[in-house]
Amino acid sequence: MNRDLVFGVATLAIALVYYALTSTIPPSQLADPIGPQGLPRMYSLVLAALSILLIVRSLRSHANREPRISEPKISDRRTSEPANYLATARVAGMLLLGIAYIVMLPYLGYLISVAVLIALTTYLQRGPLNLRTAVVALSGAALFWALFIWLLRIQYPAGLWPSLI
Amino acid sequence: MAFAYLIAAAFGGVAWGILGGALPGISPSITMALLLPFTYGMDSTVAVVLLASTYVGAEYGGSIPAILIGTPGTNAAAATVIDGYEMKRQGKAGEALGISLYSGFVGGLFGLIVLVLLTERLSSVALAFTPPSYFALGILGLSVIASLSGDSLLKGLIAGVMGLMVATIGTDPVTGLNRFTFGSPDLLSGIPPILVMVGIFAVSEMLVQTNAPDWEKATHESARIRFPTPAVWKRIAKPQAIGSFIGAFEGMVPGAGGSISSFLAYNEARRWSRHSDEFGHGSPEGVAAPEAANNTVACTALVPMLSLGIPSSNSAAVLLGGFLMHELVPGPMLFVQHGEVVRGLYEGLFVANVAMLIIGYVIMGPCIWLVSRPKPYLMAFIYALVVSGVYAFQANLFNVGVALAFGVVGYALRYFKVPFLPMVLGVVLGFMVESNYRRALVLSNGDLTTFVRNPISAGLLATALMVLAASLLRQAKGRGDAR
Repeated sequence: MNRDLVFGVATLAIALVYYALTSTIPPSQLADPIGPQGLPRMYSLVLAALSILLIVRSLRSHANREPRISEPKISDRRTSEPANYLATARVAGMLLLGIAYIVMLPYLGYLISVAVLIALTTYLQRGPLNLRTAVVALSGAALFWALFIWLLRIQYPAGLWPSLI
Repeated sequence: MAFAYLIAAAFGGVAWGILGGALPGISPSITMALLLPFTYGMDSTVAVVLLASTYVGAEYGGSIPAILIGTPGTNAAAATVIDGYEMKRQGKAGEALGISLYSGFVGGLFGLIVLVLLTERLSSVALAFTPPSYFALGILGLSVIASLSGDSLLKGLIAGVMGLMVATIGTDPVTGLNRFTFGSPDLLSGIPPILVMVGIFAVSEMLVQTNAPDWEKATHESARIRFPTPAVWKRIAKPQAIGSFIGAFEGMVPGAGGSISSFLAYNEARRWSRHSDEFGHGSPEGVAAPEAANNTVACTALVPMLSLGIPSSNSAAVLLGGFLMHELVPGPMLFVQHGEVVRGLYEGLFVANVAMLIIGYVIMGPCIWLVSRPKPYLMAFIYALVVSGVYAFQANLFNVGVALAFGVVGYALRYFKVPFLPMVLGVVLGFMVESNYRRALVLSNGDLTTFVRNPISAGLLATALMVLAASLLRQAKGRGDAR
């Protein structure tokens, strides 16, 4: 399936959901000819129209395309598939790591959360998970702690540690 | 005392910009976006000087890996690779770095003069602006999407409309009712453009870098900047002038930016050179022209941004985000209400260009050290900086989640080959467009002709139409040529 088609379908779905959500906006009692729903509705209609245009364009270009001379062999596809899965898994891992940071920061506190984030990001960016990485992660966390908490006086969650001491 | 802070901001911004620009994959806009959250609590003049100086520094910083490892640190430095890396291979890396630094300085000063001379004149219509004019100005800003969408106007428009949709989240600008907040107090004031920018520029780039190949390492012995000799100065004066003029013009044209201007400057310098056969084989002129051009752009891109509130490039859009964060609305009224900030910015940009010369020498060692670090560690530090910086913006973990979410959006846009600047433009300009559109209609009792009866509004809307038509014609011509 071509990317434009997928993108067009996805944005059409966004337009429909967004339009449906505009009905949750209460009407205004003020003398405003457009109202709070006016432009959001217009945006969703424009987005839907543009998405349909993109879908039609991608379907037409797909139909007009000449047939490929040779499709890749199944064995070729198999060799590239694990690499693709790994690449996708790394990207997903980076995001999950970010989410885990948000969830764990109030419990672990800033210093430990950042150290873990640096160590695991290094691993996901195809670096080693060894003693050197641990040292880099801890020194990095100390550096960020000094910058944000000591120098800039930002109030980060201290975590559960103070209550345990 | 205030001037001391300004000098510190200019020096700090240039240093940060050079370091960021020197890292391949970290563009000037990403370097600036990483800095945005830190500017929140600062004095507004210091904050905008810091961001603008970062832009100046990053444009020079991009040439360092271009010359030393043949990999441009920024898109605008891609033209510098051709002769800069060739000079390095001939053992003239120091000379190439010197030419790059001083050409950037010349271009930057020229751009600053153009900025000072043109900006205020362009905004002299300030006091005549009414809600219909502001709405038309917003539409003109959005019409830039047509120039920024490359060969897919349709996808650019889709991204732009999605940006406008994001801008509707929060309290309605006219009635005060809540829209798309889902009962969350964190969404009442809407989604700050800064979070969208950090997500779309920085977080998505980190996700892309996860699977990008490593870059070559630089060596210390290859990098001592050398002041160009009088003979070299004689040779590079003309390409510097060519680069400066092209950069001045291209910087003000929406969508053109540093990369187009540097290639144009390179091409014109070759056409006008007596040594055109040396281009591509380590010509000093081939380094001077693009470097002068992209540093000129760093200043002249601010002309439409400051005077009309229209960002002509990614970096100008981030700078616009910085202005908005400090409740400075670029455009006609900026010079009336916050003249001191604009004057401070001019002074800061002058200091930044001088600072570039000094820091250019001092920072070369740390720069090479940084570029030579293992990429996984660098990316890990940048990720930690992103999440820490976004939290620091309003001491709110919800913001970190929003930035990550926009990182996913940015990654998806890259995957589907959709230009993402239109989305940023939609987010930045959405509030201005909607609030002034509705105010204008309230004032005119719903009469839509108010937008064409007002001469400023009519002129701006006509210009927006022309920009759109020109882009459509260019695309149609491009398709015709391709056939």
